[in-house]
Amino acid sequence: MNLLRLVLDNLFRNPLRTIFTSLATMVMVLVVTVVFSILSFLSTATTEKAQNLKGIVTERWQIPSQMPWAYANGLAEGGPHRPGDQRVDPQDAMTWSFYGGSTDPDPKKRSINTILFAFALEPRDLTEMMDGLDDLQGEQKKQFDEVVAKLEQTKTGLIVGKERLANIGKKVGDKVKVYSFNYRGIDLEFDIVGEFPEGRYDPSAAMRADYLQSAMDAWSRENAGKPHAMAGKSLNLVWLRLKDRPRFDQVADQILTNPSYSSPAVKFETASSGIATFLEAYRDLIWGMQWLLAPAILFTLSLVISNSISISVRERRMEFAVLKVLGYRPWQILFLVLTEAILVGVLSGTVSAGGTYLMVNHMLGGLKFPIAFFGTFYIAAAAWWWGAAIGGGTALAGSIGPAWAARTVRVADIFAKTA
Amino acid sequence: MSDTEACVRVRGVHKSFRRGSEVVEVLNDLTLSVPEGEFVGLMGPSGSGKTTLLNLIAGLDRPTEGEVWVRDHCISSMNESQLAGWRTRGIGFVFQFYHLLPVLTAYRNVELPLLLLPLSPAQRREQILNVLDLVGLSDRLHHRPGQLSGGQQQRVGIARAIVTDPDLIVADEPTGDLDAKSAEEILNLLGELQRTLQKTIVMVTHDPRAAARADRVVHLEKGQLVDEPTPVAVK
Repeated sequence: MNLLRLVLDNLFRNPLRTIFTSLATMVMVLVVTVVFSILSFLSTATTEKAQNLKGIVTERWQIPSQMPWAYANGLAEGGPHRPGDQRVDPQDAMTWSFYGGSTDPDPKKRSINTILFAFALEPRDLTEMMDGLDDLQGEQKKQFDEVVAKLEQTKTGLIVGKERLANIGKKVGDKVKVYSFNYRGIDLEFDIVGEFPEGRYDPSAAMRADYLQSAMDAWSRENAGKPHAMAGKSLNLVWLRLKDRPRFDQVADQILTNPSYSSPAVKFETASSGIATFLEAYRDLIWGMQWLLAPAILFTLSLVISNSISISVRERRMEFAVLKVLGYRPWQILFLVLTEAILVGVLSGTVSAGGTYLMVNHMLGGLKFPIAFFGTFYIAAAAWWWGAAIGGGTALAGSIGPAWAARTVRVADIFAKTA
Repeated sequence: MSDTEACVRVRGVHKSFRRGSEVVEVLNDLTLSVPEGEFVGLMGPSGSGKTTLLNLIAGLDRPTEGEVWVRDHCISSMNESQLAGWRTRGIGFVFQFYHLLPVLTAYRNVELPLLLLPLSPAQRREQILNVLDLVGLSDRLHHRPGQLSGGQQQRVGIARAIVTDPDLIVADEPTGDLDAKSAEEILNLLGELQRTLQKTIVMVTHDPRAAARADRVVHLEKGQLVDEPTPVAVK
């Protein structure tokens, strides 16, 4: 405790240098915190779970996956076709079709402010199966349940994320017509019945699957019974939630051996595997962030701190010699210098990472960094201790050299110069 | 004078330094005794080995050969950690340029050696106030070195040197950076410490006026004592 008082006194002997070192630490910890948060989220998303697995059924040989709508009901049940095969409960299944278009009929005027991309699904799947919406709590859950209820009552209903609503210049209660570019000729008018909770689905929208299917049937009727070009391709993904790995393997076997799903053939994999496959295109970017950017920042931070502490130690060689004369042991000198550096590092790191957490998660509504279909990332709660660890760790690494030099100051050599 | 009455005993000490390929002999078979309570001045030309001898007596360096004893402690055979522990209570060092820590007040500077001892804050406070009163700086407790004159800073340095009640006070040109009046005050103070607290003092000085305050003056030349006089009785 006595030595700590001395540490605190020394921290403020050159306030400007301490402040600049602290600011440099904060900036670099902020960047590393953001990088770690993104990597941590991607790692969680691609890590296989042991229980409550989510599996994805997609077309085997094509990206994007396009399967016939006729596959939907069977796949949602888990593809049972033999005696003894298991059925998946309705609340553990979700089908997706993707409907995209522009609010402006002129293709030349398409922009971020006119494009709208919607998941076409069963309304109840939003609260039963969608990641980030199936675990809402309290008031947020109550409000979103009401929005989903409105979608169930309104065939032409549309739920839109805040960001997308702002981009297209609409609000809840408005109507919007979307001129589709993947379902050509099927331009749909929607009633905006609600918003997604702020966060992950800010740029997205959700509509009813039966609205899209009945629109395709109507198109066919208006075109002399000719099926629409997307008629056999309107089912993009089927999600299944399974209790554990043995059940997953069983359902996988059911689906993959079912002759009904052979043309086009399908594949069934865990969500984490599917996500990992999708992230292959970003592999180099992620690798660079993890093994180049983050280490480079940590190394630079150590150098900055090392430089600052080295200057401080060089200025104070006489003081360290005096302390030794007074009876301070070498390890106590080492402790003084290391503790000064680590204290600045830990405090700056904690403030930076904690501040980043509060600012990004609660003020900015997440970090907009599009990787694959992840549009928004949040700073992990673990950032609070990451910051302390990064700041403290780099401070220790950067100050160990100068601290050792301080420890080994030879008193006789220092005072031989003075008299 | 028997060895048992001596506070400091330097026996057959050699000290050499390596400068590149050359070995420089700084002290050559030096023997010296300082009785308890004596005020000894060390004088000699530059390069005579005064500061080297002082550093050996203060435990800041070790001889190449020979022994250095302070009371019952053979400090020449201690390792660095043992010397540090001994220095806390065994010696008080007064520097030519004071060497106070600029970020600390007079109070906190004097407190520095006490932080190494198992004392309560109240006990530390009592000792600090006593010594600062002794050196006449009770009204400057919370002043930083930058707010004190040279003489006042040296008095804080002396307070820091005696606050642990050491056996021996070692002073390396304590008046070298002071004007005549301040130097006089410092020398009076050192004399007071010798008389009232029976401190043994070894002082390196170039100043004949400072040397005149000592009970005995020892001259060094080329690493050897020149005509060591018999120690006089302590006044």
